[in-house]
Order: sequence, then structure tokens, then C-alpha cells
Amino acid sequence: MSMLIFYILAIVAVVSALMVVTLRNVFHSALFLVLTLFSVAGIYVLLEAEFLAAVQVLIYVGAITILMIFAIMLTYQITSKSIRQVNEQVIPAVIIVLVFFVLSLVTLIKTSWPVSNKSLPGNNTFEIGRQLLSTYVIPFEVVSIVLLIALIGAIIISRQDGPSRPGQEDR
Amino acid sequence: MEMIVKLIPVFPLFGFLIIGLTNKKMPKQVVNIIACGSVFLSFVAGTIAFFSLLGMPSNSRFITGFWFDWIIAGSFSSSVSFMFDPLAAVMVLVVSGVSFIIHVYSIGYMAHDGGYWRYFSFLNLFVFSMLLLVLADNVLLLFVGWEGVGLCSYLLIGFWFHKKSASDAGKKAFIVNRIGDFGFLLGIMLLFWTLGSTNIKEISHLAPEMLVAGGGLVTAITLLFLVGAVGKSAQIPLYVWLPDAMEGPTPVSALIHAATMVTAGVYMIARLSALYVLAPTSMAIVAIVGGFTALYAATIGLAQNDIKRVLAYSTISQIGYMFLACGVGAFSAGIFHLTTHAFFKALLFMGAGSVIHALSGEQDMRYMGGLKNRLPFTYKAFLIATLSISGIPLLAGFFSKDEILWKAYSSGHGHPLLWILGLITAILTAFYMFRLLYLTFHGKSNVTAEAEKHLHESPPVMLIPLYILAFLSIFGGYIGLPHALGGGAWFENFLMPVIAESAHVIETGSHHAPSLEYILMLASVVAVLLGIVVAYNFYIKNPEKPKQLAQRFAGCYRLIFNKYYIDEVYDYLIVKPLYILSLIFWKIFDVRVIDGFVNRLAKFFGSMSERFRILQTGFVRNYALVFFIGVIILVGYLCYIFR
Amino acid sequence: MMPPINWPVIYPELAICITAFIVLIVDLFLPGRHKWVLSLISIFGVLVALQIVFMNFGLKGDTKAFFGMVVSDATGLYFKTIFCIGTLLAIFVSITYQRREFPEVGEFYTLMLLSTFGMMIMASALDLITIFLGLEMMSIPLYVLAGIYRGRYRSREAALKYFLLGAFASGFLLYGIALIYGAFGTTNITRIVELIADGKPYSPFFVGVGSVLVLIGLAFKAGVVPFHMWIPDVYEGAPAPVTAFMSAGPKAAAIVAILRIFVITTPVIDLTWVFWVLAVVTMTWGNILAINQNNIKRMLAYSSIAHVGYLLVAITVGGEEGVSSAAFYLLVYTIMNIGAFAIVVLFAEREEFYENISDYAGFGSRFPFAAITMTIFMASLGGIPGTAGFVGKFMIFSGAINHGFYWLAVIGVLNSLVSIYYYLRVVVAMYMRQPQTRLVDIAISPSLMIAIIITLLLVIQIGIFPDNWLSLAKQAASLAF
Repeated sequence: MSMLIFYILAIVAVVSALMVVTLRNVFHSALFLVLTLFSVAGIYVLLEAEFLAAVQVLIYVGAITILMIFAIMLTYQITSKSIRQVNEQVIPAVIIVLVFFVLSLVTLIKTSWPVSNKSLPGNNTFEIGRQLLSTYVIPFEVVSIVLLIALIGAIIISRQDGPSRPGQEDR
Repeated sequence: MEMIVKLIPVFPLFGFLIIGLTNKKMPKQVVNIIACGSVFLSFVAGTIAFFSLLGMPSNSRFITGFWFDWIIAGSFSSSVSFMFDPLAAVMVLVVSGVSFIIHVYSIGYMAHDGGYWRYFSFLNLFVFSMLLLVLADNVLLLFVGWEGVGLCSYLLIGFWFHKKSASDAGKKAFIVNRIGDFGFLLGIMLLFWTLGSTNIKEISHLAPEMLVAGGGLVTAITLLFLVGAVGKSAQIPLYVWLPDAMEGPTPVSALIHAATMVTAGVYMIARLSALYVLAPTSMAIVAIVGGFTALYAATIGLAQNDIKRVLAYSTISQIGYMFLACGVGAFSAGIFHLTTHAFFKALLFMGAGSVIHALSGEQDMRYMGGLKNRLPFTYKAFLIATLSISGIPLLAGFFSKDEILWKAYSSGHGHPLLWILGLITAILTAFYMFRLLYLTFHGKSNVTAEAEKHLHESPPVMLIPLYILAFLSIFGGYIGLPHALGGGAWFENFLMPVIAESAHVIETGSHHAPSLEYILMLASVVAVLLGIVVAYNFYIKNPEKPKQLAQRFAGCYRLIFNKYYIDEVYDYLIVKPLYILSLIFWKIFDVRVIDGFVNRLAKFFGSMSERFRILQTGFVRNYALVFFIGVIILVGYLCYIFR
Repeated sequence: MMPPINWPVIYPELAICITAFIVLIVDLFLPGRHKWVLSLISIFGVLVALQIVFMNFGLKGDTKAFFGMVVSDATGLYFKTIFCIGTLLAIFVSITYQRREFPEVGEFYTLMLLSTFGMMIMASALDLITIFLGLEMMSIPLYVLAGIYRGRYRSREAALKYFLLGAFASGFLLYGIALIYGAFGTTNITRIVELIADGKPYSPFFVGVGSVLVLIGLAFKAGVVPFHMWIPDVYEGAPAPVTAFMSAGPKAAAIVAILRIFVITTPVIDLTWVFWVLAVVTMTWGNILAINQNNIKRMLAYSSIAHVGYLLVAITVGGEEGVSSAAFYLLVYTIMNIGAFAIVVLFAEREEFYENISDYAGFGSRFPFAAITMTIFMASLGGIPGTAGFVGKFMIFSGAINHGFYWLAVIGVLNSLVSIYYYLRVVVAMYMRQPQTRLVDIAISPSLMIAIIITLLLVIQIGIFPDNWLSLAKQAASLAF
């Protein structure tokens, strides 16, 4: 049963991911992204990682994708524009990606996967919280600073202050 | 005390840096103070260290000045550290003292030169290099100083580089020195290879234990070092650069000839005497080279007309004496002569400089004469120096020269023939020096009208140094008054612990009857007087006689006048063939083969570069593609090796 | 069980991080003309961090901290020293430029400091996650810094390119980490090494692919061919002081992370030949393409690729000798490259006016000190004896020969020869060409002068007396293995 659900979710995730990159309308791409992320959240649930699934939905679907859709809608005339999705190097790119796909496949197939016999801790969320603030406290803190600097950087890049000096634009 | 020793060479280095970096931004007065002051500080530091050395027991007179480890690579180590022992002390005092006097003199001499700053910075660098050379406690550091001196001589000889002859002379000095340096460097390598050390003190201890006395190895090492010494000290066959070196400003000549540079070779041989005493063959070669150079250069000096050129050949000849002394095992006598020679040769050059200065640059003695009354102060100083170099008894030059002659005869390595070489040289020296004196200061004036107008005695800043040196030229010899004349041979005793006088030398020295020493001394005095009398006859009594003689022995005269055509011979035998060879290499081998190859290679790289530039399209997608290709190649490789 | 929190280990990182935020906050209250205060605060902060790094060399006892996430060993501390020196010099190089070109962006220093913070995290990290986060911490400010010259098209383009490709590379890095995690069930390097030593069964192929992907992600940052394509465009587009900054520290950070990863890969898979090929390709490619560049920043970009090639030679050699020579070379490279960029900044008038090598014509007589300094830096980059660059190359190539990599050494030396050609082009332009463009007087700023003089003295000092630095680098290498 869970196997069946997994395959459904996986196929939905992959197909909608393909749609994200191939559709010519940006808005549609964003919507398919939502679908992809949802499917992944579903897979998390299957893996008994409820907290992760919730976070996936909250942050990726709830915040990031919505933000993207807002940005698309606010951007002038991008919603209805169709964008060329391929360029002159599509053939080599496809070949190379296929080769990489095969290589990855080989890697996955050839590996004897270690299977954990330990049962998952009953209180998943509690354990994650404990780990985040003990073993992973350094990465946790660094992540917060990374996010902060990403924020600051975005502001620096996008803010428009001061008259731009004449003659310096786009030489 | 270690600090003081460490600081000795540092002062001129800072002088060089300060003057060299600020250059014309600094007023001349400040330059004077820095340039002279720094050398003076070195002299003071040297003096203080010298007296503290005297306070030590005579066998353990040694101060080290360790700066830092320089190169440490496996078993090879070399440090920048100094050794201040009696030999170094003498050299430091002579170098810094005489250099200081020359610096002061230069203030007057170079006052109107546009390159004033450059001049003093180089001069300070010169002193620094020389002090580094004499203080170095290992052969490698010594070599650094050695090269530094060579570089400075190049810079200063070619100081007036816009004059072709000057820049040529600079190049000549540098190139000839390089030949010697090559030998020196090989010597260092061979020495390190055999003894595993470059530290001079260690070498002195190790050499007698590890090397077979008279063996091929030690002979090879010492001969290689001799090649270096011959180059730097201008001995046969590498002396040709020194006469041309007078193209530089006269104080530079004084510096090169008297205090620094040419004495380096003698110093080095004395420094490594522990090696030389193990190689009798090398000793003999040193003595023979020295003796012949002394005679040979003296004969050339007989017929030169350029006042500085005569002095240059006289220097070569005097250095020959020093080599002779070292060669017969009388290292301390060599250093003794080095010291007194520094005094009177500096005085002679600076006196000559004073004359040239007075005559607005005239250097040809045929256009001088009768200057005795016009330049009275210069004349007196010059006279003292001439008497001293000729070896008139009781003056400095007499004691040192006599010491050498006596050792050449009496020492275990000596030979009466060497003594005769020295004696003839003494006659010739007296002759050409008095010829110089008479032609310049006596007789009737041949000064050109143009020069006559500006004729003037030099300023005090030039004359005072002359008199300091004159004083030293008179009394400087008493530090080494021999036993035979009631002295204590203090100088020799002072140097004794450092210099390996082979026991052999001292033993046989005492076999001779004491009366013999007096007889030889008398002979040399007579010889000197003979030279003077002949000179007087030729140039004062019968001024026509030299010309007649020159005509009668025209061939002989021409030979001497043209310096035995050695420059031409070198030109024909070495320079021309090399030149032709290099022309062949250049035109055929280099242009066709190497350049062709290199050019083609360069073109190849250039065109590749041009072709591959296209790959850098500027499109991110292309970059990502290349990236991805890299990834699949690497991962593919892994799949391949784990297949 | 787990080691306790060991605060002193991360003091250097804390110092940098706190300084960055102080700068950020002070910036708010400073009017535009007083932004220079920020640079002073930054310099002070970096000096404090440097001091702490030196003190940490003497740290006793367990050097691991935060449950084995970070460590303060000689390798990490050595590289942190490099980062601090690089950042310090880059700040000195930036001050005047920043005031002239984008005076309103006080966050400039915050970005620089936080990037340094990321590098330090990478140097201390003992966990793949931490390495990744350090890498992102280092990179994100760099993306912004590359585009900080907002008024300039090329600067914005550089930022975007760098960002896109950086994200692309990070994807591979993460994928690699995921594979390694899949193989061992942990991301902690110490733990993985223990597991391998204990003989836990694992798939070497899996681990091999994982670590190669991680290495690719790092190689991108270092600029290894074929992952180097961003370098010329970004170096050229970014403002010159930023280029100076990112040509030094981030490379060193990537290399130290590669060294850490090596601990995992060495018992699993022999990558010697991979690195052999990468070294040859990287140095040859960098040198060949540098020949025809006219823009000095672009030329230095390709030259930096070539230098990474030399570093790869050292890594190929491996062992204590290889690692120590790589560590030493990174220090030397940081100093001389920032020095060269300092001169580029000095010559670059407003909006990078003098940016082409041909613009340097006649500078030899107009700016004698700067020209002679540039000559020395070029000589050092080319590896001419008497300079630090020579000692660095000598150590690398002699290491290669000692370990039997004769061909690698030969190719390396040939590459050095080729490189001298384009370095000398700058010197030739300065001294032997007549100026053709209009001449502008160049204002020499004191802070830039400080950077130039420090780098110059260090290049000469290391070139003549390398012993102390070499022994430091040896120490760094001895503990890594």
C-alpha cells in the first residue's frame, strides 16, 4: 500500500518538476512547483517525518512559492509572456544530462544500501529540536546568519538610493 | 659587546637606504652627515669592539654577532652572523677608518656633481658590503659581501655612465670579477661537499682533521679560491680591470684600491689560511703569482703617463707583495702590508685627486709639472706617501715591505728567487713613484693655459683627510715593528691566534743568522735609494734622457707603454673568439634554432590562447555545460575504476 | 559521551562575526561622509581575530568543540591566519575605492567580514554540513560584493553569473554530501573516519562518487578547470578590491575544505591521477588563456586559475610535504596577489579607467614606486628567485620531484615559464611603452599605500627568509595527517 502511494507521489513530483522547467508560462511553472513540493511533503509523511513534511508545506509551499507567485504577478507583463525554454545547446545539454542520469542510476543500483534497524524515536519533532540545539547548534546558528546575510545582500542589490551618477550606466 | 659587533655593518646599510630612498629630496648637508656619520659610527663601533678584544686573553679573542639563521636546508645551514676576531678587527678598522676619510674627502671632491646622492648611497653600500665581507663568519655570507663589493664597484666605476669609457670600464670590472667569482663559488661548493660546513671557524678546525695535507682535494679547493682572489685582487691574469677602474671618480679609486675590494682577495686567503697551509702547491702558486704580478705591474708603471694609471699599476704591484707574503706563509705580514698600503695608497689617490681637481680634470702627467709651489699642501702629503710606498726607512711602508721581503727569503715556503723578485720590484717602485712625483710637482710647468686659470689648492675638507692619512703613512708601521729593530712585532702576535702560520714557517725562520735580516734590510734600502737616484737623474737632471732611452729601446718601451699588449692579447685570444662564437651562436643557433623554436612555441601558445578564448562566451549556460561535462567525466572515471 | 562545548575554539569566528554586526549597526547611525569609521572598526575586529588565532595556536587539551562540529587544530588556525591577513589587506585596499565609488554602501565591510566568517567556519568544520554552511556563508556575501557596483552593467552581470553558477555548484556539493550520508549514516568527518577504521561495511563506489561531487563543489570555488568558467567574468566585472578579496581567501578556504574531505577519501579511493590530470589541465589552461588578455583583471583571473593548478600539484603530491607546500603557497599567493590588485586599484582611476595593460604604458616613469612594486609582484607571481613566489613554487615542485612526480614537475615548470611572459607584459608596458591615452593624475591614498607596503615587504621578506613561514606551514600540515 505505502509502496503504491510512494510511486504515485514520486511520479507526480517528477512529472510536475519537468513541467516547471518546460512550460513556457512562468506563472504555470510556479504552480507546478507547488505541486512538486507538495508531493515531496507527502513522501516525508510516508517516511514518518511528519515535522519535516509540515515544515516543507509551511515554508516552501506556504511562503516561498507564494512569494514567487506574488513577484511574478507584480512584475510588469511577465505573467502572460511565454518564455523560450530551450536554447542552441539543448542537444548537448540533453545528452550530458542523460549521461549523468545513467551514471547516477549506476551509482544507486550498484550500492548496497545500509538499512537501519533502529526504530525511529516515537517523538520525532522532539528529537529534531533536541539535535538542533545540541549537536547541530553550530550549523543552526550559522544558518541563521546565512539567511540574514542573504536578506541584507538582497536589499543591497535591489535598493535604489541616491541618484545614479551620470555616464556611469552601462558603458 | 655582541650588539656592537652586530651593528658595525648596519650603519652604512641604513645610510645607503636613507640616502638611496630619499634621493634628491634630502639637502646635501644632511647627506654628508648621514653618509660620513654612518661610516664613522661603524668605525667607532669597530674601535670599541677592538678594545674589548684586547682586554681578552690572547687565545680566546673572539666575539660573535648572531643576527639570524639565513638558510637551513637539511644538513646545510648558513646564518647571518659575524665573527669579530683579531683579523676581522684589523680589517674592520682599516676599512671603516679609511673609508670614513674617503667619505669626508668626497664631500669636497664631488661637491659639484649632479649624482651626489647616488654617489654617496653607493659609497655607503660599498662600505656595507666590504664590512659584511670581513665580518662574515661563514663562507657563504662572505660571498654575499664579495658579490656586493663587485656590484658596487661596477656601479661606482661606471658612475659617470654617460661616458662610454666609464660604463665600459664598469662592465669590464664586473665581467672579469665574475670569472673569479665563478672559481670562488666552485670552491665554496667543493668545500661544503668535503667538509659539510661553511662556517669559517668550523672549517679551520675540521680541515686539518678531514683533509690530507698536500692532497689533491685541498689543493683544488684552495686553487679555486685563489681564482676568486686573483679576480678580486687584480692579480695575473685577471688584473686587467683595475687600471680601467680609474674611470670612476678619484675617491672611488681610492676606496677600491686602498680600503676595500682589491684587499678582499688577500683577506680571504688569510682568512682561509688553515686550508692554504695544508696545500703547499697552492701556497707556492700564490707566492709565484704574487711575486710576478708585483714585478710585472711595476714595469708597466714605469712608462704610463696618466697619473691615476701609474697608481693603479702600483696597486696591482703592491697587492702582488701581499700575495707573495701569503704565499710564503707570512699571512700576518700580508695583512700588515695591506694595512699600511691602505694608508699610503689612499693618500696617493686622494693626493692625485687633489691635483686633478686643481687642474680641472687633467690626468696626463705630461701636462703637469712644477706644481710643488702651487699646491704646497697637496705636495707635502703626496711626498710623504711616495716616501712611504717606496720604502724609505722608518716610514710605514718600509716596515711592512721589509717584513715581506724578509719572509720571502727566510720562511720555509720562501725562496731567494722570490726575494729577488721583490727586491727588483722595490727598485722599480721607487723609480716610478719618484718619476710620478717629479713629473707632477717638480720641473717646469706644462700646465695648459686653460687649466692654469682655475688652478687652486683644494679646500680643507679635502686636505684634512690627506693629513690624517699622511700621519698614518708615517707612523702606521710602528704597530708591527720587527724584533730585529727592537720592536715586539705586536701586529704579528695579535693576529697569531687566528692565522695558521704553519709551524714550519716559524721554525725555519729562526735558522737564519740574525745578521742576515739586517743585511737584507740594508739591501732593500740601497735598492730603493738606487731607484730614487735613477729617477732623479732621468727626470730632474736630464729630462731629455727618458726620451732618448725610449727611442733607443723603442720596442721595449712600446711593449711596456702598451702594457705588454695584454688587453689586446686577451681581446684576440678570448674576447674576439668568444665574440665570433657568440655571433655564430646568435645568428645560426639562437636565431634559427632556439628563437625559431621559441617563436614557434610562443606563436603556438598565442594562437591556442586566441582560439580557446572563444570558449569563454560569457553565457552562463555554456559555463554550466562545461561544468557538467567536467562532472560527468569525473564521475564516469569513478564508474570506470569501480566497474 | 560527546565533548562539551568548548568556547575558545570559535573565538576567532565570534570576533569576526560580532565585528560584522557592530559595523552593520554603526552604519545605520553614520552619515555618508563618516563611513570610513566602519573600515577602522573592521580592521580592529580582524586584528582581534588574528590575535585570538595566534593565541589559539597554544590551545591545550581537546581542540574539538560543539559536539565535534568544529575543531581548532594547526591546519585550521594556519588557514584562519591566511584569511585574516587576506581580509585585512583587502580592507586596506578597499577603503579609498569604496569611498570614491560607492560611498553609501556601508554594508560593504559587513559583507566582507561575514564572508571571512564563512571561510573560518570552513577551516574549523569537522562536519560536512558545517563545511557546506561555511561555504554558503562565504559565497553569498561574495555574490553581493561582486555586484555591489550597482551602477555598472558588468558588475551586475558578474554577480548574477557568479550566483547562478555558485548555486549550480552547491547543488553538486549537497548531492555529494547526501551520498556520503547515505553511505555512513552520519556527516561527521571524525565519525566517518572512525567507521572506516572500524571496518564497517560500506560501498567504496558510493563514497567515491559522493566525495568527488563534494570535491567538485569545492573545486568550483577554487577555480579548478573545468569548473573555472565564472572566474574571468566575475573577476573582471567585480570592483577591483572585491576581486582582490575573492581571489585570495575563498580559494584558501576551498583548499582547506578539500584537505578535510581528503581524510575521508584517502582510505577509500586513490584520487592521485584525478588530481594529476586536474593540476595539469588547470595550470596549462590558465596560463594559455592568460597570454592574450588585455584587461589586467582578466589576466590576473586566468593567472589565478594557473596558480590553483600549482596548488593542485601540491595536493597531488599529498602527504606532509605536499600539504605544507600548498599551505605555504596559499599564504604567499594571498599576499602577492592582493599586492598586485592593490596596484591595479591604485592605477584604476574612477570607474576602473586604467584597466587595460596597455593603459599602463609610461607608468614606470610617472609612478616609479608603484611601478617597481608592481614589477616585484609580477616577478613574484611568475616565480622569479628572490621573491616569495619563487620559494612557494620551489617548495611545490621540489615536493613533486621528491615523490616521483617528475612529469608533473616538468609541466609545472614549463607553465611557470609561459606565465612569465604575460607577467612581464605588464612590466614591459610600464617601462618600455609610450603612453597613448590621456594622462590623469592618480591620487595615492594612505590606506592603499599601507597595503602595498605591507605586501611588498612580506613578498621580499618571505622570498629571502622563508624559514619561519615554512615551519608554520609544516606545522599546519603535520597535524592534518
